[in-house]
Amino acid sequence: MKKLIYLITMVFAFSACTKDFEETNTNPYQLSGESLQEDFNHVGAFYPSMLSQIFGNQIDHNLTNVTFSQHLATPTPFVGGVNNTTFYIRWNGYWAREYDNVMAPADQVIEIAKEGGYTVFVEWANLIKIISMSRVTTYYGPIIYTNYGSTENALYDDEETLYTAFFADLDRIIAEFKANTDYAGLKNFDASYDGDVSKWARYANSLRLQLAMRISKVAPAMAKAEGEKALADSAGLIESNDDNFNISLYGAKFHPAQIAFEWGDTRMSATMESILIGYKDARIEKFFSPVEDMSLVSDHPDWPYKGIRNGAEIVAKDDRLGFSTLNPDFNEPAKVTKRKVMSADEVHFLKAEAALREWAGSGGAAMAKTHYEAGVRASFALWGAGGVEDYLADNTSLPIDYNDPVAPGTVNDFTNQITNTVAWDESASNEVKLEKIITQKWIAAYTNEMEAWVDYRRTGYPKLPPVYQNSSNSDWGVVPEGESIKRMPFVQTEREGNAAGVADATQKLGGPDEINTRLWWDTGAPNF
Amino acid sequence: MFKKLIFFLVLALGIQPLLAQNKTLTGVVTDATDGSPLPGVNILVQGSTVGTQTDFDGNYTIEASSGDVLVFSFIGMKSQSITVGASNTINVSMEGDAEQLGEVVVTALGIKRQAKALTYSQQSVQSDELTKTRDPNFMNSIAGKAAGVEIKKSTSGAGGSTQIVLRGNKSLSGDSSPLFVIDGIPMANNKGSQPGMWGGTDGGDGLSAINPDDIASISILKGSNAAVLYGSQGANGVVLITTKQGVSGKTTVTFNSGYTFEHFLELPDLQFKYGAIGSAKESWSTTPGDYQDNYVEEFFQTGHNFNNTLTVSGGNDKTTAYFSYGNTTASGITPENKYQKNNFTFKQSTKMFNDKVTITSNVIMAIEETKNRLPSGYYLNPLTGLYMFPRNRNFYDFKNNYQVFNEDRNLYAQNWFVSDHHQSNPYWIINKQPRTDNSKRIIGSLNIAYDITEELAFQVRGNYDYAVKEYEQQHAATSNSTNVHPKGAWDYRKYDDKLAYTDAILSYNTDLSEAISFNGVLGGSYQKTIYGDGVSVNTGTDGLLYPNQYLFQNLPNNVQVQSTYGGSVIKQGVFANVQLGYKEMLFLDLAGRNDWASTLALTGNDSYFYPSVGVTAIVSDMFTLPESISFGKLRASYTQVGNEVPFNRINPQNSISVNGGVNRNTVKPFFDAKPEIITSWEFGTDWRFFQNRLAFDFTYYNIISNDQFIEIPLLQSESEGGFTTKFINAGEVTNKGVEITLSATPVRTDNVEWVTAFNFTKNVNEIVDLGPDEDKEINLGSSEGYTSKLKKGGSFNDIYVRKFVRDEQGRIVFDAGKPTRTPLAEYVGNLDPEWSLGWNNNLSYKRFNLGVQINGKFGGKVFSQTESMLDGAGVSQRSADARDAGGVTVNGVDKTSGNAITTVGAETWYRAIGDRNGVGEAYVYDRTNIRLSQLSLGYNIDVDKLGLPIKSATLSFIGNNLFFISKEAPFDPELAMSTSRNSQGLDNFNLPSTGTYGFNLKVTF
Repeated sequence: MKKLIYLITMVFAFSACTKDFEETNTNPYQLSGESLQEDFNHVGAFYPSMLSQIFGNQIDHNLTNVTFSQHLATPTPFVGGVNNTTFYIRWNGYWAREYDNVMAPADQVIEIAKEGGYTVFVEWANLIKIISMSRVTTYYGPIIYTNYGSTENALYDDEETLYTAFFADLDRIIAEFKANTDYAGLKNFDASYDGDVSKWARYANSLRLQLAMRISKVAPAMAKAEGEKALADSAGLIESNDDNFNISLYGAKFHPAQIAFEWGDTRMSATMESILIGYKDARIEKFFSPVEDMSLVSDHPDWPYKGIRNGAEIVAKDDRLGFSTLNPDFNEPAKVTKRKVMSADEVHFLKAEAALREWAGSGGAAMAKTHYEAGVRASFALWGAGGVEDYLADNTSLPIDYNDPVAPGTVNDFTNQITNTVAWDESASNEVKLEKIITQKWIAAYTNEMEAWVDYRRTGYPKLPPVYQNSSNSDWGVVPEGESIKRMPFVQTEREGNAAGVADATQKLGGPDEINTRLWWDTGAPNF
Repeated sequence: MFKKLIFFLVLALGIQPLLAQNKTLTGVVTDATDGSPLPGVNILVQGSTVGTQTDFDGNYTIEASSGDVLVFSFIGMKSQSITVGASNTINVSMEGDAEQLGEVVVTALGIKRQAKALTYSQQSVQSDELTKTRDPNFMNSIAGKAAGVEIKKSTSGAGGSTQIVLRGNKSLSGDSSPLFVIDGIPMANNKGSQPGMWGGTDGGDGLSAINPDDIASISILKGSNAAVLYGSQGANGVVLITTKQGVSGKTTVTFNSGYTFEHFLELPDLQFKYGAIGSAKESWSTTPGDYQDNYVEEFFQTGHNFNNTLTVSGGNDKTTAYFSYGNTTASGITPENKYQKNNFTFKQSTKMFNDKVTITSNVIMAIEETKNRLPSGYYLNPLTGLYMFPRNRNFYDFKNNYQVFNEDRNLYAQNWFVSDHHQSNPYWIINKQPRTDNSKRIIGSLNIAYDITEELAFQVRGNYDYAVKEYEQQHAATSNSTNVHPKGAWDYRKYDDKLAYTDAILSYNTDLSEAISFNGVLGGSYQKTIYGDGVSVNTGTDGLLYPNQYLFQNLPNNVQVQSTYGGSVIKQGVFANVQLGYKEMLFLDLAGRNDWASTLALTGNDSYFYPSVGVTAIVSDMFTLPESISFGKLRASYTQVGNEVPFNRINPQNSISVNGGVNRNTVKPFFDAKPEIITSWEFGTDWRFFQNRLAFDFTYYNIISNDQFIEIPLLQSESEGGFTTKFINAGEVTNKGVEITLSATPVRTDNVEWVTAFNFTKNVNEIVDLGPDEDKEINLGSSEGYTSKLKKGGSFNDIYVRKFVRDEQGRIVFDAGKPTRTPLAEYVGNLDPEWSLGWNNNLSYKRFNLGVQINGKFGGKVFSQTESMLDGAGVSQRSADARDAGGVTVNGVDKTSGNAITTVGAETWYRAIGDRNGVGEAYVYDRTNIRLSQLSLGYNIDVDKLGLPIKSATLSFIGNNLFFISKEAPFDPELAMSTSRNSQGLDNFNLPSTGTYGFNLKVTF
């Protein structure tokens, strides 16, 4: 009997023992903050994950801004051909991707870095937030930036407040970087610049120039002040391809290659065909693959590339799978290991436009040609294409008209609207010069189409053909025939869960929350 | 009076006394209590078929010889056996049988209680009901045999999982699956992954490891009232499995062998008249053609299921032993689908120390191997390509040449007419993307029981349940490029499930006074489970270094090999249960349990207590009731059960991503978490009439689930410092329902007995509250047309689909010639049936035994994406009929002109309403269905005549799921694509429903 009581007591004793509970309730294959302390991974290990989310995937990128900027086009009639590519919004995922995978961890990581006194890491995360948010705002306009992290429903920033905040934050970030150019702490976590803080400062300064140019029409004074600050800053600008800001693919395949080669859902655009072939651009073979079926290119057999019109009328996916896909090198993770976010060509083109706008430090209008040609040369060099001098001298070639060899009659065909050649014409108007600059900037932007869509909306260049099939309707707003989509609507979860916040944001947007409402910097006014 | 009534019934049915023998015996049978004559008493000459019945005045006459044994039996009375002597007169006085009502049942923790004293509803199913139709997963056999039990079988065929829900869905975060207990000890039932709209394959569950032949009985404790002693894991009810054990005496050898074949019941209604235009993948031509129409049916084959079990049992006064070996070999209705299972069970029990200590050990081993279990959903499903193949093409070119040699790659490549993410060559998938599911499991347990005194007993148990599961699919190079890299893909997972359990129970049973009895139980338990600890790799479209080689060395460096972990939980509990009885007619049951759960570590709420109280009154013993009432009981009980939160929710950490960086956890820590509380009220009453020949059992329950653990996706405008998700304790779900069991023995003579039982179930589920956000919705699976979601005021499994836009006259609004649909999915009904009825019959006549089970579900909705897809592709018979008729007749109106529209072209109509993203309203069907779910006809062979060393032998014809008596949906609504809580009531290229037919031979030596 005593033994029995002892046994019962034992049962109660072990029942009340809870010391293993915390360990039991922990996933042994997750990494806690403490276990990450070694090699400072508790601060740094999160940066590659955040950077790898700057680019979206198929639905929030390839079928959205990439198709709006007309770099690539889809052969697939998703949802009966009524989808983002024909201006009826089906997918609107970039918002959540950036907030959930960049902003949310960045806020936490900043707190960790602050606690540990890792000031360069703090500003590195702040810079990543600007990279992310300066892209997100090109979709929606007003976004949550200065109020992010709130427990209550945070208010959206109107775009003027947003850009003012970006510039102020960049001041602080660049100052921190410039003061710590010998800091070695980033090295283990930085696949872009191998921990070179001065290069990050250079990129941050180049980003300031990019953002300044975005608002050059709507807020010329602020744009000029910020642009000139960038041109003068000792951090310098990305003017050599060695300084390009790329994000590593971290061993993964270049995502558009997966869309193109595995899913067969993206191809060269008809606009790329028209412009690259018309201008006899040698970069075409670096960008795309020739077609196998020569009957598709009977209108230009010497240039065996065929694109799909953006917003085409499509019956069956199979019809256009034989059109030009990406250059097969993109399909090799060993060959394409990174994706460019900002390259020297873009900075040169920004400087060329700054010159036209007579911003101090750009050299003025007289220097526009130099910057323009430097941009084209930098792009040819980046892609390893030859014949750049002949290309720059070509004052006759124009983009070609497009024929869809699969569609009946004139369906999906278009007539080229671009009447400007590649060669610089010093005597031409600023408007003509700007068209050359932005058209070349558009070509060079290949693989990072975000700013190309911005430039098209801001300047109207390049003169892109309208979609053939415009399925916009009152659900998301009507895009008039011949025009292009102007923005993405605020996301459904916010519309439903934060109705007051979205109403306020719509007020700040200055028009209905629809796809035909222009963003702040898209004034629709003349460029000069 | 009623005895006489029964006698009349017997006469009315015209049952005649049989045969004559050499000596005529006569006598009177009377009731011992009052000496009144008993009519209708069965009298049988033991070991023969000779028998008779007493007449209206209790008199009988029978032919027998001296030395024969006469068996007198009557319902509600103790049977008597009397040996015929010299006398020609045998008068018998029969006594009421208290034993029949004093039936002892196994309740929670293996505690034995008198059935009449239970304060809650518990229903048992005996072994012969489970093995009758030889379903490899025994739980499927229970459908309709117990009230309050909803069972859905996976569409994936042999070895697939089963969804079981007792009294409705109670938790917003879990799947409301009950706890399974073998001989008192919880068993692991870790379900594998489940398919959804996009695809996937049923990963099976833990139940198929049990050999149905080893089961003696199953008791279902439907409410938490019954299960409170199992703690939180019993919150959704408990299924108690009692296994067979050896019986002392002569060694018995049983051989049970069954063979069934399986055939599909119905396929979608397809057309083979109109082909495609040009190279389109849809068959929308309007020119009829003479096309192949057999290849769909030919794809399906007859499945075979061969099932053998050998059991040996026996023992002596001290030791008994039971051994069984079972083997199931099955092939499904699709090519290359095979299932093999081997079960071994060894159980032995030894009494020691003057029979005061009993040591029982049990080892169960199961080895299962499944090949090509069929998926559901769009992706990598052979049925999509099979059904949607353009009719004008030659299917046999692709069937016979599913692979063709590709000179460019020097390998055999898939041959299919189109590159499309939805479809592949069905024969390529079957042959070149083989899937295997393997499971090896061992359950070992030891039970030491010590009867300290007559009243006091002590028991310690321990159990270890270990399973290794391995899933693999090898996708050959050139499989569908949406999911598979051109060099092929490898999907491999292997993991362990472990469960260790131990408890100690002290029980004390005594009479406190003449009138008051006391049954007390005090104990403690400890359980640790680790699920899904293993490794997985899925190369998908990331590729392999060398084509068609499936090994770790062949992985490119952008593929992550992952350590997987499903979770580990420690649960500790102490519990006490006291039952006080007053004069065997009034019982009070009190129970309490305190749990400690590791999943609530760091919250301070990891220890929690909950009580249970119940009362039972045996009305028939308390009051003098009419003679017709044999038994009457009222019962009521109240229980609270705490349900702990899932694993690793309180403070989740960071994970390494494919890119080598670390993904920062953005789920907000929840240090204030509390256990969910489920409060149940249950009222019931049991009545038996006419000497137990009619029984009625009624239960009403009201289950309120509070403090639900709810996941809240944080809006970007409320990230709370950089978080994307948080959890809260809130919400309320109620389940109210009625369970009625009515059983009767309308006929009982010496040759014929008919036992019939109805099980009626009705459950009403309501989501009363979903937390502070009034508009919150929880999505349980959606894709395009179909959404199942939870919202305040709704119910579990509410279905939402896109509807037609109609004007005030109910006309469908057309825009540009096409019907328009609502911008958002709207409510159309609930997937659960309004009520269910099972009707089970057993009719025995001499050596024949006929079992008939009819199950009906009434009300509820189901949705078929398959039909929508088939319409969109122009391959449904409907689409052909519409083309024959020159269009579809509609009641429509043009949006702009206001003109009536009466006819629409077939293609315009079906492409608009069908396909992946059409008008879901057109594909919602009533779930109501009535089916002949089981039929068995057995013959008990007269072994005496065989002269073989056989004790008994039964040969039966068995049939399962034979046909529908009534059904509206174009598929079987009771088959589940997923047996988790998601994607319920959804058909998206699910395997067709099947019927099985066959034979079973059971021989006892």
